[in-house]
Amino acid sequence: MATMIEENGPSTHGQGELSSYSSRACQNLESLLNKNMRIRMTDGRTLVGLFLCTDRDCNIILGSAQEFLKSSDSFSQGEPRVLGLAMIPGHHVVSIEVESDSLVSKQGFGSNH
Amino acid sequence: MVMKSSVEDDDVGWGLGVPEKMRNNANWVDITHEFKGACKGLSNGSVFSRFGLFEAMSAIEMMDPKMDAGMIGNQVNRKVLNFEQAVKDGAIRVRDLSLPELIGIMDTCFCCLITWLEGHSLAQTVFTCLYVHNPDLIEDPALKAFTLGILKVCDIAREKVNKAAVFEEEDFQAMTYGFKMANNVTDLRVTGMLKDVEDELQRRVKVHAYYCLHHPLTCELTTGHQQCLALFSRIKFTRLLLTALIAFTKKETSSVSEAQKLMQQAADLLPALRSSIEHGIQSQNDTTKGDHPIMMGFEPLVNQRLLPPTFPRYAKIIKREEMVNYFSKLIDRIKTVCEIINTTNLHGILDFFCEFSEQSPCVLSRSLLQTTFLIDNKKVFGTQPMQDMIKDALRYFVSPPVLSSKCCLYNNHQAKDYIDSFVAHCSRPFCSLIQIHGHNRARQRDKLGHILEEFATLQDEAEKVDAALHSLLMKLEPQRQHLACLGTWILYHNLRIMIQYLLSGFELELYSMHEYYYIYWYLSEFLYAWLMSTLSRADSSQMAEERLLEEQQKGRSSKKTKKKKKARPLSREITMSQAYQNMCAGMYKTMIALDMDGKVRKPQFELDSEQVRYEHRFAPFNSVVTPPPVHYVQFKEMSDLKKYSPPPQSADLYMAASKHFQQAKLILENVPSPDPEVNRILKVAKPNIVVMKLLAGGHKKETKVLPEFDFSTHKYFPVVKII
Repeated sequence: MATMIEENGPSTHGQGELSSYSSRACQNLESLLNKNMRIRMTDGRTLVGLFLCTDRDCNIILGSAQEFLKSSDSFSQGEPRVLGLAMIPGHHVVSIEVESDSLVSKQGFGSNH
Repeated sequence: MVMKSSVEDDDVGWGLGVPEKMRNNANWVDITHEFKGACKGLSNGSVFSRFGLFEAMSAIEMMDPKMDAGMIGNQVNRKVLNFEQAVKDGAIRVRDLSLPELIGIMDTCFCCLITWLEGHSLAQTVFTCLYVHNPDLIEDPALKAFTLGILKVCDIAREKVNKAAVFEEEDFQAMTYGFKMANNVTDLRVTGMLKDVEDELQRRVKVHAYYCLHHPLTCELTTGHQQCLALFSRIKFTRLLLTALIAFTKKETSSVSEAQKLMQQAADLLPALRSSIEHGIQSQNDTTKGDHPIMMGFEPLVNQRLLPPTFPRYAKIIKREEMVNYFSKLIDRIKTVCEIINTTNLHGILDFFCEFSEQSPCVLSRSLLQTTFLIDNKKVFGTQPMQDMIKDALRYFVSPPVLSSKCCLYNNHQAKDYIDSFVAHCSRPFCSLIQIHGHNRARQRDKLGHILEEFATLQDEAEKVDAALHSLLMKLEPQRQHLACLGTWILYHNLRIMIQYLLSGFELELYSMHEYYYIYWYLSEFLYAWLMSTLSRADSSQMAEERLLEEQQKGRSSKKTKKKKKARPLSREITMSQAYQNMCAGMYKTMIALDMDGKVRKPQFELDSEQVRYEHRFAPFNSVVTPPPVHYVQFKEMSDLKKYSPPPQSADLYMAASKHFQQAKLILENVPSPDPEVNRILKVAKPNIVVMKLLAGGHKKETKVLPEFDFSTHKYFPVVKII
């Protein structure tokens, strides 16, 4: 079960108590944890990694992240640069993609397509 | 909402080598809007994650220039090209390079080499030069030979540093990032190529000189002549440096002397290098190409993607003006290293290593010293087993009967077993000790603290072996003794390590002023006192053996040999120890007196405890049995001034301190052939005598300004300055 951690308080394990929060959206986010995610950034770079963490401002942390450059640019567009644990600030996120196998339920992300 | 699973426009360029995941776009589903929407539902200030806040904090932040090295490539206006691309693009040339271009490139390469040796990564130094990535593509013979030479120098240097293992991450970056280091060419071939270029250049220089001689009016040729000479010097310097390093890889000690000669020849070229730096082209300071000036043939960001994310953006390459100075000092250090082969006894070698380390030499010279001493970590200088050296050291220091050929124990089977086993156990700790002296000063102190444990074990064994040999000797040769011979020798080394550990704390500026008094106390009243008695015991042991030998010889020859008074082997060491002891005693009493006068600032916080600080400073000594560590309570008792009646006032202590400095001065002025160390201590002792006398007289007693301690003359003993 995912943990909702309050910045200034103790972590609460198990069900988070947020009455204003859509529990379905929460479940959807949770289902994506540890799945491969591909994020395009504002400067054209792409990061691929395991989705580990996010917050209200859509700042995202990827684990075992790899960075791919714009293909039109340098010589090494094919070779990813290994970053490890990387955080992308929400305002630099252009697009977020996951693998279609990662989408679990019919009511989850991507189900409205 | 339409599911975006189609191939996007700019994905056409994905080439081979791209992982399956990236290429096969049909698998990826865009969930941007839903994701952002879901996030908005999270409460402010919470994170949604399976791990804690701490882990989240340790992620690198993208698009932050401090943490995101990959971002630079997008900020810089120029295209970052690798060697092959740059050649294809026409951005750099592999032939028809002008002399100023060659000189500039080579000088920048030298600077990169030096920066690498000073602890930066290869990727940000030598390999920012595009030419070294693939010398096979270079057509200009001078540049080709030079780049191969540089690669070989790097390769051998790296090998030596790795083998010596006296570096830590602050000293050296050993990573090669998979770069090719000219492995497809032999060392001999590269030196040969360099020599060929040298010969060709020398011919051109001669032709120029001949031409100028016969056509003095066409002076524009003289610049070409100078530039030719400049190039020649650089090629020759590279060849000499490389050949010297190759000599160090050979196992024979004769090659060390050869290396020394080559280094001298290289040093002779330095003036020529210095005066011709101006001929080389400079970096272009074109701000449209980014914030750093770019030198032709170099691309500082070419390896950026190989580096871990949090690496610094650029390594600051040293300036060409400093290049010659650095080489000059490096050559001096390497020449000094070559001197080690002239010292053959263990104690002399230890002293050599200690002295060499005191100048804080670079990692390369330290490593060369290590690998020259213990070739392939087996035999000293490749010839002598360590154990033989240890036996010689024992004979020199304490003349144990068991190692004397005139003693019956020498051929006694059991005695031999005892001593051989003991010496075998000494081998590793002493090799470790010598290796420790190869580390940088800070790490050295730390490791000295740790090795005391091993020496404590040796101490224990020494005592047991001494006892066993003594009882054996009593039965066979009752007039001889084997009391504490081996124990004395190990104790001597123990004390040396402990003293070095404490003194280096001053050098590394670890102690606060309010701690000086107990550090100097421990040194003067305890460690040096023990050292003096150990040295005199060793001296007596030597004399006893000598007397015995003389008596044995008297019985045989009727001739009366005229006794020549020669200096006792340990006399200099005893003298120096006395001087040091007095200096420490002087400093100890100075600090106590200053404290009495309220001139020492002490920590005032609620949970402060001097005992905790004291125990921390002397913690590594707890594993030592002899001498037993002095714990805080005991120290307080031993150093309590109230046991004197009347208890001394600050004036008495200043006078006592002055007398100590005076004593040190007297001792040192009588030392025959004083070395720089003697002079350094004198430069501290003399002013301190005066200052202490002034303070004893009440000079500036009321002043609130605290005294200053100037360690610039001697790193262990400060000149005390009253403002």
